[in-house]
Amino acid sequence: MTSKIINMAEKLKDAEDRLLEAMFAAEPIADDGFSSRVVKRIRRRLWLRRLTLPVALVIGGAIAIKPASELVIAVSKLLAVVPEGIVEAPVAWLPQIQGVAIDASFVQTVVFGAVLLVVAVIGSRTILE
Amino acid sequence: MEIHGAHAITQLATSGDDQYLVALAVASQDTAAFGELIRRHQSQVRNFLRKLAGGSTEDADDLSQECFLHAWDKLQTYSGRGSFIGWLLKVAYTTFLQSKRKSKRYAEVMDEVGHVAELESRSYTKSAEEVTDLDKLLAVLTQEERAIMVMSYACGLSHREIGEATGLPVGTVKSVIFRGKEKIRTSFDIKDHQHG
Repeated sequence: MTSKIINMAEKLKDAEDRLLEAMFAAEPIADDGFSSRVVKRIRRRLWLRRLTLPVALVIGGAIAIKPASELVIAVSKLLAVVPEGIVEAPVAWLPQIQGVAIDASFVQTVVFGAVLLVVAVIGSRTILE
Repeated sequence: MEIHGAHAITQLATSGDDQYLVALAVASQDTAAFGELIRRHQSQVRNFLRKLAGGSTEDADDLSQECFLHAWDKLQTYSGRGSFIGWLLKVAYTTFLQSKRKSKRYAEVMDEVGHVAELESRSYTKSAEEVTDLDKLLAVLTQEERAIMVMSYACGLSHREIGEATGLPVGTVKSVIFRGKEKIRTSFDIKDHQHG
């Protein structure tokens, strides 16, 4: 069936089409190391990409350690001055888990952890992009 | 079936399945599988870009390398529905257009800072002996017509595949080919074979 369709399409081609095909026809180009050159470039790029993330993390970590520690101190101070009413309000809404004391300091830790998690996710996504 | 390393490539090289090689390259970042795909299609891609770019073969080959690097980066976007060479020529055409835009921007910047002479010395023009009949024929066509005519007559892509590669509807592809043929007819005083 397919060959019949191809034959029909071939018959529909006029002499002009065949002339153009002949003019556009080109000798196959020999590989002559072209593919291995491209593959080499790809491997180099892959290697660089794999290396970039850990190197960036180490350099970024070294640069960010001081401002990050200052940020942690600032956030902990900020959480300390949050009105007690706001901090305590959600406590009543939280289910009491056995063995875990859910109080104001627990909520502070959770909020602080969430903030750090969001910062880490945004940071790592930025690095990866 | 579990296939590994060079043995797998030897097997796949004879199997003739581009889709399988693409899957292997995407799933395990297998550069050897992609290398086999390059070996299979480099001739068509390089021929396409040499005809499209019209300049030196070195420039066209540099562009071909860029095309395969882009293809590697975008390999996961190949759905496997059309032919792999059709998809590859789409990447080649996009790479060509990007390079044209970049060189146009470069020319504008050089022009702004008054480096016309330097720019002229960088450009490549073919000598009279180097100009072939095909070069003369392609010279009367616009960039889009040239790309579509080369895809159709040199690479043997169907109208649907050209449509997918260029992002144009099949009807537009047909009319561009018709227009291109008309231009060639009038420019080279060729009589219409269909209408006498």
